[in-house]
Amino acid sequence: MSVLVVIGVSIFVFALLHVIYPSPARDVLGLRAPQMAVDAWNKAHGYDDPAAVQYLRYVKDLLHGNLGYSYIENQSVLALFEGRMARSAYMSGISLALAVLIAIPLGVFQAVKRNSIGDLVVTSTAFTLYSMPVFFLGLLLIQVFALSLPVFSFQASQSTSLLTVIADWHAMTLPIATMTLISVAAFSRYMRSSSMDVLAQDYIRVARAKGLPERLVLLRHLVRNASLPIVTLVGLSLPQLLTGNLITEQLFNYPGLGLLFFDSLKKADYPVLLAYTQAAAILVVAGNLIADIALSIADPRIRLR
Amino acid sequence: MAPLLDVQNLSTSIKLTSSTVHAVDNVSLRVGKGETLGIVGESGCGKSVTGLSIMGLLPPGGAVTGGSIKLNGRELVGLQKEEVRRIRGNQIAMIFQDPLTSLDPTKTIGYQVAEPVRLHRNVSRKAALDRAVEVLGLAGVPQPRERLDNYPHQLSGGLRQRVMIAMALACEPELLIADEPTTALDVTIQAQILALLRDLKERLGMAILLITHDMGVVAGHTDRVCVMYAGQVVETSGVVPLFRETRHPYTRALLASIPRFRQGRENALPAIPGLPPDLSRPPRGCRFAARCFRATEKCRAEEPPLTGPTSAHRYSCWHPLNEPRTLAVSGVDVSGTTGTDLVAPDARSPRTADGIRTSATEHKPETATANGDREGPLLDLRNLVKEYPVGSNAVLRRNAARVKAVSDVSFSMPAGTTFGLVGESGCGKTTIGKMIVALERPDSGSVTFGGVDVAKLRRAELRRERRDLQLVFQDSHSSLDPRMRIGSIIAEPLHAQHWGSRQARRERVFELLAEVGLPKNTVERYPHEFSGGQRQRIGLARALSLNPRLIVLDEPVSALDVSIRAQMLNLMTRLQASHGLTYLVVSHDLTVVRHLADRIGVMYLGKLVEIGSGSDIYERPAHPYTAGLIAAIPLPSPAAEHAKKEPAITGELPSPVHPPSGCRFRTRCRFAQERCAVEEPEPRSFGPGHLAACHFPLRTATPPETTADFAG
Amino acid sequence: MWSMFFPFGRRRATEDRADEPVLDRRPLPLRRATGNRLAVIGFAMLIFFLLFSFVGPLVYRTNQDVISLVDANQPPSAAHLLGTDANGFDQLGRLMKGGQTSLEIGLFAAVVAVTIGTLWGTVAALSNKTVDSIMMRVVDVFLSVPFLFVVLILAVTFVPSVLSLSLVIGGFSWQVPARLVHSEVLILREQDFISAARIAGTPPWRLIIRHLVPNTLGVVIVNMTFQVADAILAVAYVGFLGFGLQFPDVDWGDMLSDGMQYMQAGYWWLVYPAGVCIVLTVVALNFIGDAARDATDVRLRHR
Repeated sequence: MSVLVVIGVSIFVFALLHVIYPSPARDVLGLRAPQMAVDAWNKAHGYDDPAAVQYLRYVKDLLHGNLGYSYIENQSVLALFEGRMARSAYMSGISLALAVLIAIPLGVFQAVKRNSIGDLVVTSTAFTLYSMPVFFLGLLLIQVFALSLPVFSFQASQSTSLLTVIADWHAMTLPIATMTLISVAAFSRYMRSSSMDVLAQDYIRVARAKGLPERLVLLRHLVRNASLPIVTLVGLSLPQLLTGNLITEQLFNYPGLGLLFFDSLKKADYPVLLAYTQAAAILVVAGNLIADIALSIADPRIRLR
Repeated sequence: MAPLLDVQNLSTSIKLTSSTVHAVDNVSLRVGKGETLGIVGESGCGKSVTGLSIMGLLPPGGAVTGGSIKLNGRELVGLQKEEVRRIRGNQIAMIFQDPLTSLDPTKTIGYQVAEPVRLHRNVSRKAALDRAVEVLGLAGVPQPRERLDNYPHQLSGGLRQRVMIAMALACEPELLIADEPTTALDVTIQAQILALLRDLKERLGMAILLITHDMGVVAGHTDRVCVMYAGQVVETSGVVPLFRETRHPYTRALLASIPRFRQGRENALPAIPGLPPDLSRPPRGCRFAARCFRATEKCRAEEPPLTGPTSAHRYSCWHPLNEPRTLAVSGVDVSGTTGTDLVAPDARSPRTADGIRTSATEHKPETATANGDREGPLLDLRNLVKEYPVGSNAVLRRNAARVKAVSDVSFSMPAGTTFGLVGESGCGKTTIGKMIVALERPDSGSVTFGGVDVAKLRRAELRRERRDLQLVFQDSHSSLDPRMRIGSIIAEPLHAQHWGSRQARRERVFELLAEVGLPKNTVERYPHEFSGGQRQRIGLARALSLNPRLIVLDEPVSALDVSIRAQMLNLMTRLQASHGLTYLVVSHDLTVVRHLADRIGVMYLGKLVEIGSGSDIYERPAHPYTAGLIAAIPLPSPAAEHAKKEPAITGELPSPVHPPSGCRFRTRCRFAQERCAVEEPEPRSFGPGHLAACHFPLRTATPPETTADFAG
Repeated sequence: MWSMFFPFGRRRATEDRADEPVLDRRPLPLRRATGNRLAVIGFAMLIFFLLFSFVGPLVYRTNQDVISLVDANQPPSAAHLLGTDANGFDQLGRLMKGGQTSLEIGLFAAVVAVTIGTLWGTVAALSNKTVDSIMMRVVDVFLSVPFLFVVLILAVTFVPSVLSLSLVIGGFSWQVPARLVHSEVLILREQDFISAARIAGTPPWRLIIRHLVPNTLGVVIVNMTFQVADAILAVAYVGFLGFGLQFPDVDWGDMLSDGMQYMQAGYWWLVYPAGVCIVLTVVALNFIGDAARDATDVRLRHR
C-alpha cells in the first residue's frame, strides 16, 4: 500500500514540477537567451522528451538518491540538504518526542480528573494553543522569554556542528518549546478523549474489581490501550510537524531544511522546493508505515491476526 | 449465625447532568456462607447497581446515600478507599456480563489472572502464574498452561468468561458477585458456565450473589431470591417457595409472561402493561401500582413495607396473592381467568382477551394451510448456499478463507403459517432471513416465493415483489433512521411503491399506528424518543404497511425485557390472525420460537439438522443437538432445573470457516462415531413432517432408513 | 440560533415531556452541558468578527488607500485607536480589512474543500471495491504531501488573490472531509435502516437523498467549521511568510509579519492585535465545531 502511495506522490510532485517549471533552461541561459538556444538546451538535456519519459528518468534519479540540481545555487539539491537535514531532524525529533512524553500523561490526567479545575485549565490552554498559528506562539515566547525576561535567545543556534547545536540550550529552548507546545496541544486533546473511552471500558472496571490501586489501574490497563490511537495520530500529524518546522525555522532563523525551503521560495528555486516536497511526502508515508508497524507491535489484536 | 454479607437499607443514587436517579432505594439482603442469593429483575431495576455498591465500584456520579453493607460483620460503607481495595478481588470478587470487553486486549491471559494473586497474596511471579494455571483449570479452561501466553481475542466468548471466573477465583473469595454472567453467551455455553458456577460454589464453599434477568437461571442456580422492581426489593424468599407460593403481583406477572415450552400459542401471554417508572422521579406509594391489576387507592398513596408471615418469605404488597399458584410450569396451562386477570383492564383495549384466543386458535397449522394447499407452498427454499470471504482485503486474495454461513439448506412453508428457525449465534439463520427478502443473494440454490425465484428477479420486478416480502429487524436502534420522523419511516414503503395519494398514505400511517398500539402523535416524533419495545412496534408497522404476505421476523424480541417481550409477542400473534400473515421467525430463543411457530427448523453451523412441528421438536426431538439445545434452556421451575445434571452439550462452537467434516455437530456430540466424521447424514423421517439429519438419532426413524428432503 | 445551523438538532424527549419515561439513563458527560455554552460563546465571537470586519469599516471610517509616511508607526491615540502602521494606515481599520480577506478566504476555501471532499468520499464509498480503493489511495497521496508546501509553491508561481488563494487552499485540503464522509457512508450503508429502505423497494437515488445525505450532513457541517478554522490559519501562514496577498490587499498574517520587525522597538500594536484576531477567530470556530461534533455524535452513536 505504501509503495502505491509513494508512486502516487512522485507522480504528483513531478506533475507539479512539470507544469510550473518545465525546464531550467532560463535559469541556466539567462532570461534574455534566444528561444533557439533554449530549445537546443532542452533537447540536449532531455527536457523535450515526452512527459512519461521524463517522469521515468525522474524516478530513476530519485532511486539513485539524486534529488535534482539547483541551477540557481549551482549545487546539487542533495548537497544543499546535507548538514541541514540533521539539524531539522534534531529539532523535529526532539519536539515530537517531548510532545508525546508530555501529552500522554497530561491526557490521562485530564481524563481521570475530567471537568475538574485542572482539566478545565489544561483543556482551555490546549484549545488556545491548538488554535494558535505557530508563528504567533513563537512570537509570544520570544516576547516573554527573550525580550521581557531575557532568559533565552530569540535566535536559534547558527552552528554547523550538531553537537554544538544540541548543547546550546540557551538558543534552542524557544524553537523547541514552540514546536513541542503546538504538538502537545493536539496530542493531549486526543489522549484525553481516548483515555475517556478506555476508562468507560469493562476491563478497567474489572481491574478495579481485582482490587488494583487506581494508580496501577491507570498504569497497567489504561495508558497502553489509550495510547494506541495516538500512535496513528503521530504518524498522521507528520505533515503538520514539517509545516511547523518550516515556520519555526524561519521565525528563529535556524538553518535547517525549512529555512532552505523558505529561501528557495524567495528565489523561486523550484528544483529545491519540489525535492523538499517530495522528500517530505516520502517521509510522511514512511512515518505512517512506521506508525502502523508500531501499532501492530503494541496491539496484539493486530499482531496476531 | 451472622451472615457473610448483610446489606441493610441500602440506598444508592446516581447523579446525572439534569437529574438524580435513585437507582437503589432502601434495599436489604443477606447472603449466608456458601449460599447463592439471586437478584432478579428487569433492566433498570437497580440489581446491577446493588452489586456495584457492594463492590464500591459505582460509576462516576454514583454514591451510597444510606444504609449499611457488612461483610463478616465489618462495615464497608464509609470505609477508607485503601481498605475497600484490599477486600475487592480478595474477599469479594465480581464477574461481569460481557466477557468480550471485560479482558484487557493488550495483556496476556496469564498476566491478567495472576494479577490479583500478586496483588493480594504477595507471592513471586512464578507462584502467581502457577496459581493462575490452577484456577484456569478449575474454571474448566482446557490446557491452562498453554493459555497463559494467549491474548483475549484468541479465545471464544465462552472461554473468556471462564477466564473471568478464574480471575475472580484466584484469591479464593468468600463472596462472588456474578452480574448477568451468561447473558451475552449462547444457550449451550450458558448451561456450561452456570453448571461451572454451581460446581465451584460447592467445591470451594463460597457464596454467590447471582444477578440476572432470567427467572430460569434463578430457578436452577440459587438458594434464595430477591425480586427487584424499580430500585426496591418487592419479594424475597427461598427459591422453591418463590415459585410455588408467589405473593407479589409483579413476581407473578414476571413468571407468567415467560412463554412456556409445552404451551403453544393457544393463549395470549399475560403481559405486564406499560413501562417501569422513571427513577429520577419515583412515584409515591407502591412503585408497581401503575401496572398492577390489583392496585387500589391505598397502593398509590402508601408505600407497602417488606414484611411477611415468616422472615424467610417477605413481600411488599398491600394486596398479596394468597391463592395457590395456578400458573404451573410443567404442563399446566395458564387458566383463562388468571391469564386475563394479570392484564390490567386498560391494557387490553382495544382488543379483548377472547378475541386473541379465538383468532390464535384459528391459525393452528391444520386450519391455516387451506390457502397453501391450493397454491403449493408460499415460500420454498432449495439448496441454499451462502459463503462470505473473511478479512478486509478479501477482494485481492481470491482463495481467501470463507465463512460457510449457509450450506445447502432447503425447507418450505405454506401460507398463513409460522415457521421458526432456531439455532445459536453463527448458525446462519439470519443470513437465510436476509436471502428470503433478497437483501443478500444466495451463492447457489433458489428462494421461491409465490412461484417466483426471488434471487433471479430483475430490479424492477424485485421492487414489485417487495410489497409481499418484509422484514422486521432485531436491532430497533439501527433499523430506524435517526433523522426521520416516525410518520415518514412508516410511510417509506408506501412512498417507494407509489401507494396512494399523500392523504391516503397519511391515513394509512394512522391506521397502522393504531394497529400496533401507538398514539397518533407518534408520527411527529423521532426514533430516539421511544423505548426498545415501542421502536419494535414501529418496525412492525412499517413492515405491515404494504399488506405483505410474508414477514421475516429477525430476533423480534431478543432485545426486550420479559414483560415488554410478552406484549410484543401477543401483538405479533394478533396481527398474524387479523391479516392472515405468514411469519418466518428467526431466533436464538427456543421459548419464543415455540410460542410463535407452527413448524420449527433447528440449525447448526449453516446446516438444517431437524425440522418438525413444535411438539415434534420439543417433545420428540430426534437430533442430539436439538435435544441438547432444549435441555440447555433454563426453565422457570426449581424442580425441573434441579433434575438436570450435566450440561447436555459440551465444548465450543467450531469455526464456521473450517466446519467439521461429515456431520458438523459431531465434535460436540455424545453419540458421535467414526461414521459421523466421514459421511454427512441425510435427513430421515421420524413421523409426518418430522425430519432430522443424524446417523444415530435419539428416536427410531419411521419408516426406518428412508431418506427424505427437508423441503418435502 | 442553533437550529439555524442544525435543522436536525432536536429537543430531547426527556427535557420537555414529563409524561414520557426516561429511556436513556446513561450519565451524560458534563461536557455536553458546557459544550452548548462554549458553542454560544463561539458563535458570539464569530459574529463579532464578522460584524467587525464587514460592518466595522462603515462605522469606523479610515484611510486605507493613500500612504502617509508622516503618520507612520503612531502609537494608539484618539485619532487612531490602535495606532498606525509603517505606511501610516490606521491599524484598526487595517485589521477590519485584513479580517475581510481572512474570513472570505477561510469560508470560501472551506466550501471548496468540503464540496470536493464530500463528493469524492461519497462516490468512492458507493462505488465498487476497486474504484473505491483507487479513489482512497488518491486521498492518501494528497494527504501525504504537506499541503502548505504546495500552497506556498503555487503562491510563488501565481500572483495570489482572494479567489486563487481560496481555490488553492480548498483544492488541497479536501482529503480529510473525503475520508470522514467515506467512512461515514460505509458505516451507514450497512445500517439496518438502509436495508429496511431497500426492502421497502426504495430506489437508490432516494436512498441517497432521504437517508445518506441527512445522516452525513452532521459530519459535513462539523468538518466545515474546522475547515474554515484551518483555512484561516493557512492564509495566516502564507501571509506571514510573505507570499500572501499583494499590497494594498492585506490579511492578518501579513500584518503580523510586517509588524514583526518592530517588535524590539516595542510597537506592540503592530503585532498583537492581528495575532489575537487570528487566535480568537480560530478558537471561536473550534468551539462551534467541537460542540457540534458532540451534538451529532450523541445522536448518531446513540448506543
